[in-house]
Amino acid sequence: MARRPPRWFGGGGVAVVLAASQVRTCFGDGDQTFAALCRGDSGVAPLRHPDPAGINVRYGYHGDGGGPFLASRWLVDCVRRAVAEADLRPGRQRVVALVGTGLRELAAVEEWAVAGREVPRHRLHFRDALAEAVPGLADIITIANACSAGGHALALAQDLVEMGEADAVVAAAADGMTSSMLAMIGRVADVPTERVRPFDAARQGVLLGEGAAAAVVVSETTARSGLARLLATGLSCDAYHETAPDVAGICRAMRDALSRGDRSAADVDLVVAHGTGTALNDPTECAALRQVLRDGGGDPLITAIKGAVGHTSGSAGLVSLDVAVRCLASGVVPPVVGLRTVLPEGDGLRFALQPVRVSPRLVQVDAFGFGGVNAVTLLEPLPGGARWPAST
Amino acid sequence: MAGVYLTGWSVHLPGECAEAVPADRAMELLGRRGLLYKEPATRLALCAVHRALGLPAKVRPEGAVRPDTAVVACGNLGNVETVAQAARAVAAGQAREVSPLAAPNASSNVVASTVARWFRFGGPNLMVCSGATAGLDGFALGGLLLRSGRARRVVLVGAEPADEVATRLYRCGAPATPLRAGAACVVLALAPGRPAIRVREAPGYPKWPDQPDRPALVFGGADGPPPWGDCYGAQGVVGLATAARWLAEGGAGPVGVVCGDPADGWRAVTVAGSGDG
Repeated sequence: MARRPPRWFGGGGVAVVLAASQVRTCFGDGDQTFAALCRGDSGVAPLRHPDPAGINVRYGYHGDGGGPFLASRWLVDCVRRAVAEADLRPGRQRVVALVGTGLRELAAVEEWAVAGREVPRHRLHFRDALAEAVPGLADIITIANACSAGGHALALAQDLVEMGEADAVVAAAADGMTSSMLAMIGRVADVPTERVRPFDAARQGVLLGEGAAAAVVVSETTARSGLARLLATGLSCDAYHETAPDVAGICRAMRDALSRGDRSAADVDLVVAHGTGTALNDPTECAALRQVLRDGGGDPLITAIKGAVGHTSGSAGLVSLDVAVRCLASGVVPPVVGLRTVLPEGDGLRFALQPVRVSPRLVQVDAFGFGGVNAVTLLEPLPGGARWPAST
Repeated sequence: MAGVYLTGWSVHLPGECAEAVPADRAMELLGRRGLLYKEPATRLALCAVHRALGLPAKVRPEGAVRPDTAVVACGNLGNVETVAQAARAVAAGQAREVSPLAAPNASSNVVASTVARWFRFGGPNLMVCSGATAGLDGFALGGLLLRSGRARRVVLVGAEPADEVATRLYRCGAPATPLRAGAACVVLALAPGRPAIRVREAPGYPKWPDQPDRPALVFGGADGPPPWGDCYGAQGVVGLATAARWLAEGGAGPVGVVCGDPADGWRAVTVAGSGDG
């Protein structure tokens, strides 16, 4: 099949492709995570670390291992695999890495505060770890943008490629858990949350999951392979409340994505929602989906992954992106694990309650963070199939 | 690359001038409302933005959110004291002592999101925590937000505290230059303000570009910190704002601004006034 000529988009002028996507969650890699989602499995387990005594948080979504600098180790693992998958040549090409994170390596600061184990200041962020693991990266910048950090890294990655300022960008993310964040979550919960139940009428709240992800963004003209066409990521800040989300701010990010991607709300047929299972996020996200997509003529199927993998903080948007890519490739949308009775505010929205066989044409991925920072990504299948050019 | 213009600036190093109030006196500039539980880095950042925007004391912008204005905040140590205190409380079995009002401070982007909320900036909001180069990494990302049409104006702010936890972390494994608490803000745009102050990246550092961008004066770099000391993740923004002030007051340019350290590497720009080259 002949390749379509590049489309011209708002800021740049170069169509961009998602050339690779690698993740790590409590279930393992992307294949294992998607299979678990389709089975309806939840990775929730008793909190192993930090010590749950006294913090009113009993459960979490852990991966293998643990130990110091977990976020750095998982990040390096994902970035290495993504660079190999996209066949990048850092050094010969100008390859930039943007790392999104919510909690950085603050777990190491906590270890230092409690147990006196010193941490060099440059290990709070991820340049050192990535520069050693992937030589030749032209730039490595850590962006601490809470739970939408990965989505923000992806937006900037597309900008860099579109503007011709990088040949390829690795948009990556990683987060472990910190006892300070768990203490804050426990402090605002009436009873300890037992599992994450996105969009459920009986949802109790959020739990953290360990996670990391790396997605490679390149221009369509130089792509050696591709998973999906990356249309746009819309960004906004609510400028509204410290922790509570705002419908207007989220709607702005959704509309920004549609505008930058030159797509209509009616065309969005799948949403991988943020869906944290908290009292505030889920009704707010429902209201925004209704205002922008439903009122714009759309009727998308909605899924969400945090009931299965927990809230992977800064990685959440890119883990959802990986699931979206696999929906495109497999024609299967996994259910919202943990959702039994849809919340009243979700009335009229179509949630996936079991695996749904469908071939989406335009997928929206939501990521919202503390402080009202929103990133909404749109992607669509590449011409000729989800694996391109291998399938052409 | 054409470069980016600075259309507003402030250097907010407490002790340097009367207006640069320390964090615990931020209410003199910002008013009292909303400062409870705000960490020193957040307060210093708010002060720097307030002054760069030229707002009168205790006046706070009201009205609709401005989606055309982005915020890029830079710093590494703003919330480490809160995080360390909470971790110690948990370890001592006193997690209930942690105030939920401090919850936003457990998230590392609290400076960026607080600036957006305080001044009603609804555009993209970034918190750059990339170590010693954060200030000029943030400048690069701010320029990208302008070029990609995501914002018409970028408020770039750097802030670091110098509390006990921040100071000890800062010193660990690094030369014993004291950490300087402070903040600075520059407003970025693609069109010049008055006077026209233009910034270009100098990717070849330690080699500087040829004329007309070859600097007559350099702030910071591998040879040692600039006269005001080291503001770590805020240093690049303090350098930009100091250079803008110097040029606006008639000082000779261009000015080279460098931030970084041996572990994180170095990042440099040149700042030129309309009379330079």
